[in-house]
Amino acid sequence: MIDALLEGLLLVLQWKAFAFMLLGIGIGFWVGLLPGLGGITTLALMLPFVYAMQPVEGFAFLLGMHSVVATTGDITSVLFGIPGEGTTAATILDGHAMAKKGEAGRALGAALASSLVGALVGAAALALAIPVVRPLVLAFGSPELFMIAIVGIAFIASLSAQGGRGMLRGFLAGGVGLLVATVGQDPQAGVSRFTFDSLYLWSGLDLVPVLIGIFAIPEIIDLVVRGTSIAGDMPKGRLNQGALEGVKDTFRHFWLTIRCSLIGTFIGIMPGLGGAVAQWLAYGHATQSARSAEERQGFGRGDVRGVLGPGAANNSKEGGALIPTVAFGVPGSSSMAILLGGFFLLGLVPGPDMLTTHLAVTFSMVWTIVVANIITVVVCFLFLNHLARLTLVRGHFLIPVILVLIFIGSYSSNNHYGDLLLMLTFGALGYLMVAGGWPRAPFVLGLVLGKIAENYLYISVARYEADWLYRPIVLVLIALAIAVMLYPLIQARRIRSRSVKHA
Amino acid sequence: MKSKLVFMGAFAAVAVALPVGAVQSASFEGKTITIVCGFKAGGGYDRTARILARHLPKYLPGNPNVIVQNMPGANSIIAANHVYNVAKPDGLTIGTFNRNLVLAQLTNVSGVKFDQTKFAWVGSAASESTVLAIRSDLPYKNFDDLKKSGKTLVIGATGPGANTYDFPLLLKELLGVDLKIVSGYSSSADIMLAIERKEVDARAGSYSSLRPFIDRKLVHPVIRARAIESGIEQLPVDESFAPTPRARAVMALRSAPEVVGRPYVMAPGTPDDVVKTMREAFSKALKDPELVAEATKAKMELEFMPGDEVLKIVKEVLSQPKDIVDEFAKYIKFGE
Amino acid sequence: MHSKASLILGAGIMLLSGAAVIIAMDWPWKAALFPIVIGIPVFCMATAEVIWGLLDPAARSEAMDFQLSAQLPQKIATRRTLLAVAWMLGFLAAIVLLGFPLTVALLVFVFVKFQGREGWVTSGIFTIVVWAFFYAIFDRLLHLPFPAGWIQTWVGLA
Repeated sequence: MIDALLEGLLLVLQWKAFAFMLLGIGIGFWVGLLPGLGGITTLALMLPFVYAMQPVEGFAFLLGMHSVVATTGDITSVLFGIPGEGTTAATILDGHAMAKKGEAGRALGAALASSLVGALVGAAALALAIPVVRPLVLAFGSPELFMIAIVGIAFIASLSAQGGRGMLRGFLAGGVGLLVATVGQDPQAGVSRFTFDSLYLWSGLDLVPVLIGIFAIPEIIDLVVRGTSIAGDMPKGRLNQGALEGVKDTFRHFWLTIRCSLIGTFIGIMPGLGGAVAQWLAYGHATQSARSAEERQGFGRGDVRGVLGPGAANNSKEGGALIPTVAFGVPGSSSMAILLGGFFLLGLVPGPDMLTTHLAVTFSMVWTIVVANIITVVVCFLFLNHLARLTLVRGHFLIPVILVLIFIGSYSSNNHYGDLLLMLTFGALGYLMVAGGWPRAPFVLGLVLGKIAENYLYISVARYEADWLYRPIVLVLIALAIAVMLYPLIQARRIRSRSVKHA
Repeated sequence: MKSKLVFMGAFAAVAVALPVGAVQSASFEGKTITIVCGFKAGGGYDRTARILARHLPKYLPGNPNVIVQNMPGANSIIAANHVYNVAKPDGLTIGTFNRNLVLAQLTNVSGVKFDQTKFAWVGSAASESTVLAIRSDLPYKNFDDLKKSGKTLVIGATGPGANTYDFPLLLKELLGVDLKIVSGYSSSADIMLAIERKEVDARAGSYSSLRPFIDRKLVHPVIRARAIESGIEQLPVDESFAPTPRARAVMALRSAPEVVGRPYVMAPGTPDDVVKTMREAFSKALKDPELVAEATKAKMELEFMPGDEVLKIVKEVLSQPKDIVDEFAKYIKFGE
Repeated sequence: MHSKASLILGAGIMLLSGAAVIIAMDWPWKAALFPIVIGIPVFCMATAEVIWGLLDPAARSEAMDFQLSAQLPQKIATRRTLLAVAWMLGFLAAIVLLGFPLTVALLVFVFVKFQGREGWVTSGIFTIVVWAFFYAIFDRLLHLPFPAGWIQTWVGLA
């Protein structure tokens, strides 16, 4: 295995493959940055060009492009409060809040450093998991995936404000998310649910316009109201304090970053959970690390841990998602589905062979992810302070550009004007939620997990009747879900006892 | 004298220009042709459209630019409506959409605003046959074994309207095969994982999507639908086991669109010569060695069926007697 | 604002979840199960939220989320908020009426010039640069379909 490891590295470092990787990085950089460009669509558009390349070159290009998207997507989320990609929305909550406090440089540094750590952990997991990956993935069947969705929904408790009222609103938001997820054709009876005879709603609500609406629109309204630049009237000195501080933060909270990377990797390995889930679970976990009531309140207002968690998770999940794609030929995420097409084009057959005879090629993919992320982070750091300075640009220059980008970003999912209406509708919802003090994260969690939970529940019951509840992993996950739900209460009690002790 | 020469010169010029002008009536010089695809980028329909877009220009007079635009939504009903109602019949818009739309029209799905018989049919770029593939470590080697087994076979499916669901449903309801259909998997690839996990035993689906797994010997096909693709000719056809003519007609109805696996149309009212030019271009492009090489690498099997043959099949489907359609609608709903 | 928004949300959710449950009751049980099982608790929770909100308007719960800036006096904040909303709705209307490409240029120019009160030259140059990027990437490179605006079709330009 060590020689395959080294052989893989050498394959990546061949100058042609390296050049293609750089090209891929160049393209992926902009794709992640611009909310109008989706990583998945661009991958699909790039596929035909891959046809003429050698396998390693082709992978270097595709993976180079793909690995970078999550990192630069974080940049847009931090600077402008717009999700650069569907997978970087969670970074907005604290990242953009920090930008508004004039700490854009620090937030970017933290996002980049945690992205790198996440990518490295994901790649390491891919490499180390190779002997165990087949039994691991095969052990998680539909019942287990349903329970993971339940654990995810349980995180709503952690994402809500403390106290009875806070919990009520958090669960309301989550419940609405779950309800909204049912719009569309159901896969059991084929009934068109809540579509009101509209062709547009037939396939359900597209995540991207909803996310853009619910996060970006309140920010834009607020920006117009404030009438200043994004960073407002913060003293200019703090801006350049920036990047290095953010990197130090990553190491200050090293174990949190690692844990969130592992969460991301794990979610990535489980096919069928979708790409948007990992960042929110990581965010929820990051909030659990708050040690006092004020700290917990600080989340969503600019706590750097809220950037570290999702930043790490959305990169590590890509390494994780590569595992089922390569080992089983089953894509771990929608972008992996396209990559799978690329694998076929390049003449590679995913399956057990990739872990044995073609191990070197698999390792070359791991190395590509590692090297691509390192290069991207280095390049971004060079420009970081310039990027951070965008937060000082006067609002009335930025606002029209942001508006154009979000309108196109929403439109380009389905090339349908309906998405623009959808974005504005959820923008209104997001605004009301922010004005009323309701948390938005549980809504997104409910929306993203709703279909997964419903489908896997039906599959589990149809296949195993009631027996699935007794499976060992399911029992463990039930315990985990309960623990996650109760954690805020335990946390609150611990805080209270600690303050009593100090009194 | 001079004026006569000038007049003759002018006359000659016009005489030469006229036939050239007439031949150029179907030229696309300097224009852009748009293929409107009813599905998102990356899927099977989209990839077929893009590979065609790359190789069509050299077979079209005037060497135009051919691009693909995705207009997903409502299972490509939106795209089909667009090509039918909005696109101009000038030959610059081609549509490709779900092969089952003819069945949607037949069963009066709400929102359908087109008539498949009135499209200007270019043709079909592939035929996509459905097979049922079962896990290789099961003791059934062929369909007879399966029928006689006495044990329930668990089938994974994505949802009504997909061939993963509809094909086994008819096998179960009309042929009485002991199947349990577990529906709700997010994609056919997830079903393959479930098969490896032994959560389900089998999956139905298009042969091309199952090929990698058949080649890997994870599953093997035991029965197919009517359309033929190389490699599955030997398999028994589901219709051949039908106990009644009505059951056979329902199964045939489900399979009928599969022969028109990748439909390509132009707006109704497109002039005949333009349609003819396009059909020829498609036919030649699909035989182009570069396209064939690229398609083989991408594991796509493309074959042209001209529009007039497709139109015959479409008309046949739409003229089925009401009692067959009603029986069909009992089982099959239009979906993804 | 805080309690008003909460009341609107609470009442809105009550309505939506109630309607959802009623609609779902007509469906076959497999399709209706999830919406009903989620819808009924959501309806109850929303009712609780509305009642709580009416009984105790001053109570706030701070979500772990950003808050709208409270620095400006209420009147100015409200006026500017409505202005922002008007811009967005105007943008949407213009896209439908005039088509994407023209609207992009129009929005950028009008916003920078009139809302931002920059000079003609600055506004003009900025608009051209932004529009060039937009056109190059989204039209030339990605071939996004931009339907003609209603006005263009009505006038016969499209």
